[in-house]
Amino acid sequence: MSDTAQLASDAGSRDPAVGLRAVRALRVLVERLEALQVENARDQNWSWQDIAACLDVTRQAVHKKYAGGRGLLRRGN
Amino acid sequence: MFEQFTQDARQTVVLAQSAARRLGHHYIGTEHLLLGLLSQPHTLAARLLVVRGLDLAYAETTVLRLLGTPGLDARDADALGTIGIDLSAIKEKVEATFGRGALDRDPAHTRAGRFAGGGHIPFTKRAKKVLELSLREALRLKHKHIADGHLLLGLLREGEGLAAKVLAEAGIDFAQLRADLDRDIPAVPA
Repeated sequence: MSDTAQLASDAGSRDPAVGLRAVRALRVLVERLEALQVENARDQNWSWQDIAACLDVTRQAVHKKYAGGRGLLRRGN
Repeated sequence: MFEQFTQDARQTVVLAQSAARRLGHHYIGTEHLLLGLLSQPHTLAARLLVVRGLDLAYAETTVLRLLGTPGLDARDADALGTIGIDLSAIKEKVEATFGRGALDRDPAHTRAGRFAGGGHIPFTKRAKKVLELSLREALRLKHKHIADGHLLLGLLREGEGLAAKVLAEAGIDFAQLRADLDRDIPAVPA
């Protein structure tokens, strides 16, 4: 990063509005990436257990969040 | 009412449902019917829209924008840039793997159970109205079948749903498109 860009970035990161927006955007990004990757894993016949292990959450947590309905993530759709 | 629908018209409804699923929506609105029409590029309705500059990609992007899918807009990209994250680079990589718009879908809009069994997604009131109006348009033209063209006439006649907004944003002249459809829809199913 150039010095100018670094300065702009430092200034931006001290503004709570920008910093918090970055956090929120990151959260949206993570949620969407997770949904895509879980869908992909299910398409490739991964078990909920295996997906949960990779995400470091319980099988119940990932199952509750993604199974049983979301058309997007159901097999065969 | 679907018994009078041609194969392409039935397929439009099926593809409208697919579009709703793909976008993570738990209803079929007028916008999904429009996407269903545009998903079949060989049909009269799709051809008349594409020559006016409205294709599937444009329509889907516009739908997402008009719905204000919570976002990752330019300001989010800037904010992420301040912590060293290049959103456009991420988008590019993710879309290369999962397809255009993969990151634009909002998983929060779907709730477990809504799509259980891959089953029924309900039509909105406006979408039902469009189906009724397409039947009325067929009657007006003294046609005994409902084709993709009649569905598009229905969308134009309804005129207030999200599909109509997308058509308006694309700069489509409703009256002229109606006239083309009246002239070009075959009197008997193709």
